[in-house]
Amino acid sequence: MDTFKGEHLLPGHLGQFFTILAFGSALFAAISYYFATINPSDTSWKRLGRIGAYINTASVIGIGICLYYIILNHLFEYYYAWEHSSRALPVHYIISSFWDGQEGSFWLWTFWQGVLSCILIWKAKSWETPVMAVVSLSQAIVATMLIGVDIFGQRIGTSPFILLREAINLKESAPIFATNPALYHNYLSYIKDGNGMNPLLQNYWMVIHPPTLFLGFASMVVPFAYAIAGLWQKRYTEWIKPAISYSLFAMMVLGTGIIMGAFWAYESLSFGGFWAWDPVENASIIPWLILVGAVHVMIVYKNTGHSYFTATILVLTSFVLVLYASFLTRSGVLGDTSVHAFTDAGMFWHLVADVVIFLILAIVLLAIRWKELPRTKKDEETYSREFWMFVGAIFLCLSCFHLVVVSSIPVWNLMFGTKVAPPSDPIRHYNIIQASFAVVVTLLTGVTQFMKYKKTDITKFFITSAIYLILAGVITGVIIYVTGVYKLQFVFILIMVGAVYSILANAKVFIEALKGKVKLAGSAVAHIGFGLIMVGALISAGTSKVISENTSGDQFSSDFVKTKNNPKENIILYKNTPVQMGKYLVSYVGDSISPPNHYFKVNYKVVDANGKVTEEFMLKPNAQANMKMGLISSPDTKHYLFSDLYTHVNMSNAITVGEGTAEAGHDEADDDKNYETPLVYEVSPGDTIRFREGYMILESIAKKDHISDITLTDKDIAIGAKLHVVSHDKSYEAEPVYMIRSNNAFDFARKVDDAGLKLRFTKVIPQKNKIEVTLYQQPESAKKWIVMRAIKFPDINFLWSGTIIMVIGILLSIFRRNKELKPE
Amino acid sequence: MKKSSIFGLVVIAIAIAVIISVYSTSSTYGSFKDAKSADSELHIVGHLNKQKQLFYDATKDANYFSFYMKDNKGEECKVVFTGSKPQDFERSEQIVLTGQMHGNEFHASKILMKCPSKYTQDKVEITEAKAKQASI
Repeated sequence: MDTFKGEHLLPGHLGQFFTILAFGSALFAAISYYFATINPSDTSWKRLGRIGAYINTASVIGIGICLYYIILNHLFEYYYAWEHSSRALPVHYIISSFWDGQEGSFWLWTFWQGVLSCILIWKAKSWETPVMAVVSLSQAIVATMLIGVDIFGQRIGTSPFILLREAINLKESAPIFATNPALYHNYLSYIKDGNGMNPLLQNYWMVIHPPTLFLGFASMVVPFAYAIAGLWQKRYTEWIKPAISYSLFAMMVLGTGIIMGAFWAYESLSFGGFWAWDPVENASIIPWLILVGAVHVMIVYKNTGHSYFTATILVLTSFVLVLYASFLTRSGVLGDTSVHAFTDAGMFWHLVADVVIFLILAIVLLAIRWKELPRTKKDEETYSREFWMFVGAIFLCLSCFHLVVVSSIPVWNLMFGTKVAPPSDPIRHYNIIQASFAVVVTLLTGVTQFMKYKKTDITKFFITSAIYLILAGVITGVIIYVTGVYKLQFVFILIMVGAVYSILANAKVFIEALKGKVKLAGSAVAHIGFGLIMVGALISAGTSKVISENTSGDQFSSDFVKTKNNPKENIILYKNTPVQMGKYLVSYVGDSISPPNHYFKVNYKVVDANGKVTEEFMLKPNAQANMKMGLISSPDTKHYLFSDLYTHVNMSNAITVGEGTAEAGHDEADDDKNYETPLVYEVSPGDTIRFREGYMILESIAKKDHISDITLTDKDIAIGAKLHVVSHDKSYEAEPVYMIRSNNAFDFARKVDDAGLKLRFTKVIPQKNKIEVTLYQQPESAKKWIVMRAIKFPDINFLWSGTIIMVIGILLSIFRRNKELKPE
Repeated sequence: MKKSSIFGLVVIAIAIAVIISVYSTSSTYGSFKDAKSADSELHIVGHLNKQKQLFYDATKDANYFSFYMKDNKGEECKVVFTGSKPQDFERSEQIVLTGQMHGNEFHASKILMKCPSKYTQDKVEITEAKAKQASI
């Protein structure tokens, strides 16, 4: 066995031990709980199950600690640390580099399932054994994704503790290692730094978005486990009550996680929006839609005894869809249809198996118990709340069905050998179809508020709902007129009516709740939040306006104008040359660099008729020259209360990939090539030198005691020329230095990058009492420019505030449902 | 008939309508030859001809980018994209275009490209560029 210098193998061995232990203990817990369920009289099985679950949770935490230790200490002998982190990452991004890869996100999943297991052991009482049997099974299966052990030549799962030299054939990628064994043994001293994290993920939302999303996914196993337990234990009707709270919790957390992802996309991705119907985004919303439907049907069942069957099916489906979503995003099947799906890590069939196991478990149990399932003989009343809640839930399922069908196109191609491509304008396709479902759903969230369970007074219902509908129509009219939504397709106007109607109807319920029926407040608040999300999404996505429309450079564009009314959204801005965009006077005024980020300073001014500046702000869109991914840019946004101004730099000549490393090696002679032929001036203090874009004054000449990192001795003479440079109304100070050391003259040039200048103090002329300053100017063509895009998003704050309101509403509902459980 | 059966039928009808609408709006993968005879947008998979010139000059028109691509059948065509040049385009290994033929030029509304990662050969990254922001 080879030995390698400088490797720290202990944390990896320990971590690998924990992954095996986590798998073993979860399997042990699942088996013990299974026997505990079928032998209720023998309590020792239950005790064993608990021990297994506790050991599992502890070892999952152990895995996390080992992996954190590896990443925090930059142990790049581990592939995961090398691939996803680097020394330059600040600590909060080191935290998020933890879940940058598949393994880390699986860990999040199993961690949350572990935490939920402990809560269930504490809270589930008579449900503990069957529910924990299912949860432990899921825990065991997720653990197999992390063990990374070879069985019969087939690797099962991918371990985060795999070593770099095991993951990558170093001898192949660096031939010197193959020829020189001594070097190979010391390979680690050549691995100075990790790959670092994808710059797009270096955003504070990425610190909290994945944990939230995975808590949502993980918590969906609980209602599933309750449904299975209900079928298994023939406690058909009892499971729904305790499962409602968990379903509400999963719905709240997953919903928040999805919106956080949307916010991240809005803040840091360059596509200019919060939702793009990418298959990966769809994968997260698919189970959520079914779960929302499930929660409503469960409440119907609890209140009326109707729809038991639908509630069971939807709860079971929602979890299977979580697994399916995980298959879609992680197996690499989405390949060339998605921008950010994971590539295949050799787990394709493993992920398929995960879906199939739980699907079969659900189908088989349903089939066995089919005849015994409680059914209602009577149809629901047409004018009853339960019937229309049921209809709404089914429409949520249809909307989900559509998303599944389209996002899975690559899966269909794989299964049937077809070659169907996704719709060529997917955003439009999704928007229109999903909007049609949303119209029905929003209207129903309003209408059902005027109905009662079981039987409703028909005349009263028609009168109130009609009055509210007219009111909603009027308010919508005002909104669409003011915001310009009326220019959109008709279906979007209908959603606006539906959303406003839903807000009004639920506001009525909320006001009544304040007067006394407090327990109803939760759902009303959640529905109001949902309505606001719809309103915000519609206005901001529907009426967002590109303000950086290009009006110059028609020479190539005549064809385009003829064939398509394609808005030309990118505009070139030369440094210090303002351009009018909409009401803003926009100019690119400079850069501020703090490696690895390069911020472009873009100044926005609003000038009124009298030439007075009424508003002025600076946006700093950012670009990173990433060695691995090339130039990655992320936008910057000015937030107003009722609109956002989004600015994104696509391209610039001010930044090149590999800039940071190349700089140091620059040759002086090379550097001079970047400038025009130098001009030489003889000046004395107080004199002015003019150049193309401004002027400079020689303020004084002073002896220098030290020059940055060079130590001066008594024999050295160093003189600095203090220059005050003014260019485009901005002042800069520069002090080139002239030095004599052991009869040799040196000089240290100073650059004023913003003004495109390099200044040298090249000679002292004592006889004239003057000095010689050599001026290098950048040629006009080397003038810095950026290509940018600016978009105005109106009223997006409705979307974000709607989310918060919805979460508060669901939280209130959870409290209410928990209270209902107490007397049991 | 019971109300639930009627509702069930309505749901099935909508589900079928969804499938039909997906099928009718779904695009196809094709070649430049197919594109010449097609009236609608289609997807073309191919790779960049690195020998021929990539044209993008932001100082002249920040929204014009052209290049030559070979499709999987080996046919080459000039491609024009309204928008700025996607970052790292030269390094792309495979390109998926969405668009239509206009004369002898293929006008792409979307470019999806796969780049080999600099460090690990076994992994690919995918980036996407869109010509315009979609309107809702």
